Amino acid sequence: MNFNGTFTQVISELVEHVMPALVIVRGHQYGAGAGIVWDANGLILTNNHVVGRHSPVVVLQNDGEYESRLIARDPDVDLALLSIEATGLTPLKPAPVSPRVGEMVFAFGHPWGQRNTVTRGIVSALVHAQNRRGDTLPIVRSDTPLAPGNSGGPLVNAKGEVVGINAMIVGGDQSVSIAASVASDFVKKAIGNGISMNKRAGPVPNDVI
Amino acid sequence: MTQNVLVELSDALADAAEKAGKATVLVNARRRMPASGIAYAADLILTADHILEREDDIKVVLADGTEVSAKVAGRDAGSDLAVLKLERAAAPVAEVTKSPARLGQIVLVLGRPSPDGIEASLGTVSAIGGPIRTGRGGMLERYIRTDSISYPGFSGGPLVAADGAVLGVNTSGLANGAAITIPADIAWKIADTLSKHGRIKRGYLGIRSQTVEISDATRKALKREQGTGLLIVGVENDSPASKGGFIVGDILVAVAGVPVLHHDELFTRLTGDVVGKSTPIEILRGGQPQTLNVPIGER
Repeated sequence: MNFNGTFTQVISELVEHVMPALVIVRGHQYGAGAGIVWDANGLILTNNHVVGRHSPVVVLQNDGEYESRLIARDPDVDLALLSIEATGLTPLKPAPVSPRVGEMVFAFGHPWGQRNTVTRGIVSALVHAQNRRGDTLPIVRSDTPLAPGNSGGPLVNAKGEVVGINAMIVGGDQSVSIAASVASDFVKKAIGNGISMNKRAGPVPNDVI
Repeated sequence: MTQNVLVELSDALADAAEKAGKATVLVNARRRMPASGIAYAADLILTADHILEREDDIKVVLADGTEVSAKVAGRDAGSDLAVLKLERAAAPVAEVTKSPARLGQIVLVLGRPSPDGIEASLGTVSAIGGPIRTGRGGMLERYIRTDSISYPGFSGGPLVAADGAVLGVNTSGLANGAAITIPADIAWKIADTLSKHGRIKRGYLGIRSQTVEISDATRKALKREQGTGLLIVGVENDSPASKGGFIVGDILVAVAGVPVLHHDELFTRLTGDVVGKSTPIEILRGGQPQTLNVPIGER
């Protein structure tokens, strides 16, 4: 990826780079969140709280709807990994290093059901939250406006790399994202649990209407 | 390595946060959440007055995580500023801007309410206003407003330009809880007085006045283009004004050579060096300019 040209052009190139990896994760009963294409062969990362009791439907940018299979979920890091029967997808890469306070970030998602929304901010703070297990969880706080429907979507840096998974809103002011390093570890562990990526037997995709 | 204007701006903002963040400290002087402060000198911390809910057992946490005890060197409720003296000189000193804030300028608001690290939010300068009378009995000649979010505990922290220089001190204590910024030149001047004298002197004249127009003929006698002055409608007994010779009906037009057009300007003129000194005050009496030497009192 190479961004050139004016500021406005560079931002629209960033959006074009990230958008193909943004999906809708729709539960069977109510509500919908966002998700991130994590590899070209159908791995979708989202928040655990977006996934209901049953495997949700994943809607890609081309409007293709796929029944998903739940690979792994962990309420303690609020992450879930789904797989869909699709190939040739455009995944996002996690940032190789932790973000810096002050750097620009962009949140992608579907706040209040408004599809494919981008909001801008900076990294406000790098903090640690304690989960129920007593583990400390690295959190990226930002001043980026988030709303319900952003959950599970990516927070990316100026290079289009994932720095966090948008998770929730605290007091309406501080937006909270789970650090990308947590997501990488979660995915590695989930895949390492003996699930072969090539042999998974998922349901066939629905007809595209 | 991907490099473009967006990445450059992003890096510059992170650099600015890092640079100014080194001089931004945590001030723990209240029971609720700690607040922020700025290293004014290696052993002096400039912060907001309203966040000092106690004067004993004040702790300052520097950017490198070291905790230093501090005492109040001076505080002023009117401007909501205070200066703390550190037990030992240890803080990297903040760099102050050489060019004042401009409307539309990109700014960062920094704070250190938690020992976890520096915190920031982004915005632009949305208004530069003043003078305003603060909710705490003072007068602020100029203030800066931004559209950035001020998180809890950000009072006393810096408003920072994209190059990392400090543009002012943020506080939510002056405008009914709304965050405003005291411009750095004003804040540093007050900090200088507070660190030397411990308080800001506010002058007292003992007059009641109202703004009146100055007629064309009188303006000629005054020999300057001054549209309004302050008509004296009351002089308190034994006040500095009565001792200086003020009588009802005089129009106050200047203090120490500086024209005074409105009451708020008189308020501003009566602070600082003039307090306790005999000061020339220019008046109009019967349409003719006169100068009274008035020993300005202290409130």
